[in-house]
Amino acid sequence: MQTTAASIMTADFPSLRPETPLTEAIRVFRESSRQPGRRLFGIIVTDNDQRLVGMLSMYDILLYVRPKHIQVWGTMEDIDVAGLIDAAGSRLKSIQVGDIMTPDVITVGPQVDVLMVLDIMIKKHVRRLPVVENQRIIGMVYISDLFNHLLERIGD
Amino acid sequence: MAQQNTLRNLSVSRAMRRQITCLDQKKTIGHGINIIIKYKINALLTVDAAQQPVGVVSKTDIMGAYYAGLPIDSPLEHIMVSPPLFCKAGDSLETALEQMRSNKVYRLYVADDRSGDLIGALAYPDIVGLLYQYCRQCEYSNLNRGSQTHKKDTIDRFKVREIMSSGIKSLSLHETLNGVMEALSAYRFGAMLLTDEDELPRGVISKTDLALAYKRGVSPDATAEKIMSVPVHTCDADSLLEDAIKKMIVEDVHRVFVADSNTNTLTGVLSLSDAARGRSGSCHGCVSSRIKVEDHE
Repeated sequence: MQTTAASIMTADFPSLRPETPLTEAIRVFRESSRQPGRRLFGIIVTDNDQRLVGMLSMYDILLYVRPKHIQVWGTMEDIDVAGLIDAAGSRLKSIQVGDIMTPDVITVGPQVDVLMVLDIMIKKHVRRLPVVENQRIIGMVYISDLFNHLLERIGD
Repeated sequence: MAQQNTLRNLSVSRAMRRQITCLDQKKTIGHGINIIIKYKINALLTVDAAQQPVGVVSKTDIMGAYYAGLPIDSPLEHIMVSPPLFCKAGDSLETALEQMRSNKVYRLYVADDRSGDLIGALAYPDIVGLLYQYCRQCEYSNLNRGSQTHKKDTIDRFKVREIMSSGIKSLSLHETLNGVMEALSAYRFGAMLLTDEDELPRGVISKTDLALAYKRGVSPDATAEKIMSVPVHTCDADSLLEDAIKKMIVEDVHRVFVADSNTNTLTGVLSLSDAARGRSGSCHGCVSSRIKVEDHE
């Protein structure tokens, strides 16, 4: 029996808007990660019509937090790192989600087979795939759900 | 002058960075801005469908597109400068700096000496980074004096006022973004100081701020105050160059405005590009100190 993306996707997922301040996005990351059973590494970004416009990952945020000239730091033992982290935090306040999100997002349709979803996740090194129908996002397939689904079938 | 020779015999491969940020030339300007902001770079390399380098898009090019009213979803190929300029990994830094100066560019891409493959990029901050590392390892460095600071310092150290660009152009907080872009282009500056009605510095507007405004759909007729960055990062004209460079590195900025403590006014700008173009470390004796460091490697 064919199992599709729609059958393992979750329709309950957080989303952000491009104009959302990055500080608010970080709060959503924190709160979502507190939910039992799921560590969130990326949140989709949609416009007002629920159309997918990008994805904001923890990696995107960490790239921005990384100091610009860090390659010079190898010999700077006297740097006050604590102060630097505070400075990075204050810089985040002027940045919006749309400024640093990744606009190119791979998606799947709801009828795509889970093994095809597995193949895309492996080839493209992604842990989550938005499920899109008629240009609107209707769900998310997380690699953990895919993993649990496949292992259950193998174990049966 | 001794400081003119500091980079002689040092190759590009010593200073270049190996991480190169590329984007397909068909991608949009908006996507390019995302990459430039996220990776904190001043330009990205554009590539064709075969992943071959075809051009460079800098913040200056993005500012030009904003000024011209190009839609944010225009492809990068419409604004890129082509072809990208290359140097060889084995070229001397002195030669590379001269190539940057004569072509009026702020970065070169680095090709492998034998294969010609793209292996890195070289920009002014990379050269400053290398010079700073030499200074940091040097026993005469002010940064390494530690408990000996009570001893008389006999080293002829560079002061900020010797390297900075003198004279400051400023604009009113109420200037439009179009006006700011015209001024940045006319003076070939990377950022402009903004002052209030009493001529007091209130903020800075850089090409990064303008790229963000373009991405967010801010009208070019909006006032500079709306998107400026605060506070204004400053240093004293008589402070040591190495301290000012450290401040820029640590505070993640490309330039600091220079204050004259005697007149309590801003009199110049020091950028990492100025420090690189000065071709010097932190003191006039840098050539001999560099040789010392190299001898110990």
